[in-house]
Amino acid sequence: MHQHLTGPFWGIAAIVLIAGAITVACFAAMVWMLVRPGERRRDHPKYLVIDEER
Amino acid sequence: MSADPAAHGVTPTGAVADSALGRVFAGYTIFATAWLVFATFVGLVVAYKFGAPDFWSSQPWLTFGRLRPIHTNDTFYGFASIALVGLAYYVAARSCRTRLYSTGLAWIGLALFNLAALAGTVALAAGDNAGDLEYREWPWPIRLIFAAGAVVTAINLLATVARRNTHDIYLSNWYTMGGALFVIVIATVGILPWYQYGLGQVAVSGYFMHNSVGMWFTPMTLGIFYYALPKLLSRPIYSYALGVLAFWTNLLFYPIIGAHHFLFSPLPWWLQTTAIVFSVAMLVPVWGGSANFALTARGRLGDVAQSYPLAFIMVGVLGYFVGSTQGTFEAFRSLQAVWHFTNFTVGHSHLTMYGFVTFGIWGGVYALLPLATGKYPSRLGMGAHFWLAVVGSFIYVISLSIGGTVQGLDWVHGKPFIQSVVDMNPYYVWRGVGGILMFLSHLVFAWNVWRMTWGRSAARLPLAPALAEGAAP
Repeated sequence: MHQHLTGPFWGIAAIVLIAGAITVACFAAMVWMLVRPGERRRDHPKYLVIDEER
Repeated sequence: MSADPAAHGVTPTGAVADSALGRVFAGYTIFATAWLVFATFVGLVVAYKFGAPDFWSSQPWLTFGRLRPIHTNDTFYGFASIALVGLAYYVAARSCRTRLYSTGLAWIGLALFNLAALAGTVALAAGDNAGDLEYREWPWPIRLIFAAGAVVTAINLLATVARRNTHDIYLSNWYTMGGALFVIVIATVGILPWYQYGLGQVAVSGYFMHNSVGMWFTPMTLGIFYYALPKLLSRPIYSYALGVLAFWTNLLFYPIIGAHHFLFSPLPWWLQTTAIVFSVAMLVPVWGGSANFALTARGRLGDVAQSYPLAFIMVGVLGYFVGSTQGTFEAFRSLQAVWHFTNFTVGHSHLTMYGFVTFGIWGGVYALLPLATGKYPSRLGMGAHFWLAVVGSFIYVISLSIGGTVQGLDWVHGKPFIQSVVDMNPYYVWRGVGGILMFLSHLVFAWNVWRMTWGRSAARLPLAPALAEGAAP
């Protein structure tokens, strides 16, 4: 649909490859952090707000 | 950072006894609520005009063209901006275990935001409209007043965090400071005269209108989530590192994707394509952030069922996930060819600004304002607000999503334009029904805010089961 408006093939390919590589790397990092969140030390900054007085 | 905690109002237990902060937070919430009620009343009138175009059209200031931008701008800059800044101040001071850098600056910022919203409303009603520049229809001097309010806010937030009594800057403040700084960039770009014509205007329009949502309201609301959700569950965020990754990927991917609103336009093809690719990349912060919130609440669905502040926030998380994912799909050329310019887009914008941002604001206000003022809303009041808003927005979004798709398919199939108008009729009626329920919920919210601030408090109840006396963390 409307391919004549989408520009030259290699230009699109370059954008998709570069932006795609960044995207895939970020997806991998996201999955890694979901599977292995770590952060078990009690002095980790994420405990800051629940250690506050209620 | 001061070595003397007492200088910043910190008690020996680390808590901050800060009535001035409570007054600032309450003041921002009260004005935001007033703008919410006004702006959504105008929205209701605008929705009614789709079925009865001659209704209230005897005066120019009551016509659709003048009321519609009043609805959108006052929702954005009157309600959401003011509410989020009030919440951000509270979160910054509490999570940094310090006092607000300057309550005077906070009041000045509130005055500037209100002045801008008031002057903008009067200007638009008088027909002084900056043109076809979505979400920046206010004349530029008025937008400058709003920008001044944003500068004051950024200074105050950053200075508050700078005087923290903690070693680390808690994640919420990354988001709120990022939003406060980026909105200055957006507002400035929206005012600079050099690119406000021709194709430059189109590019800036995409940049401004999309980033005002994704780089202002989104990070501010997520910052509130990262504070309020752990607080209500008495459990830390599932992955702090993922929250940081989501912050930076949002900052990396979002600013350029506004061009996806102008596919098939004369904008450079590379800009359109990059906007599409990075719209897909936005799934990283959206899915990662949503999963992070959901995993923080894992095994605690019972708490959500018993706590309206938690329920508001979890609906906000759902709105963030569904609305933003929908945005990614809308960026595809094949789908945008059907949905662009239809009412589907209006449904999408309400799914994000209402289902995500507004529910997030309400969850934050119900979770945190009672802690600041010591006054509580009733459970009945929160329940009435929640269910009216949930059912109303569900009807609203579903009807416009279906109707918008029908409308777009009519155009794709080359049917006469009037056929698409006829086909939209029942969906406009359902949109009005949903809108009425949503507006009623706002009146209930106003009553609840009254009870949390100036009015008589309801009985003190734990805002979530984990906060009840003796509850295990």
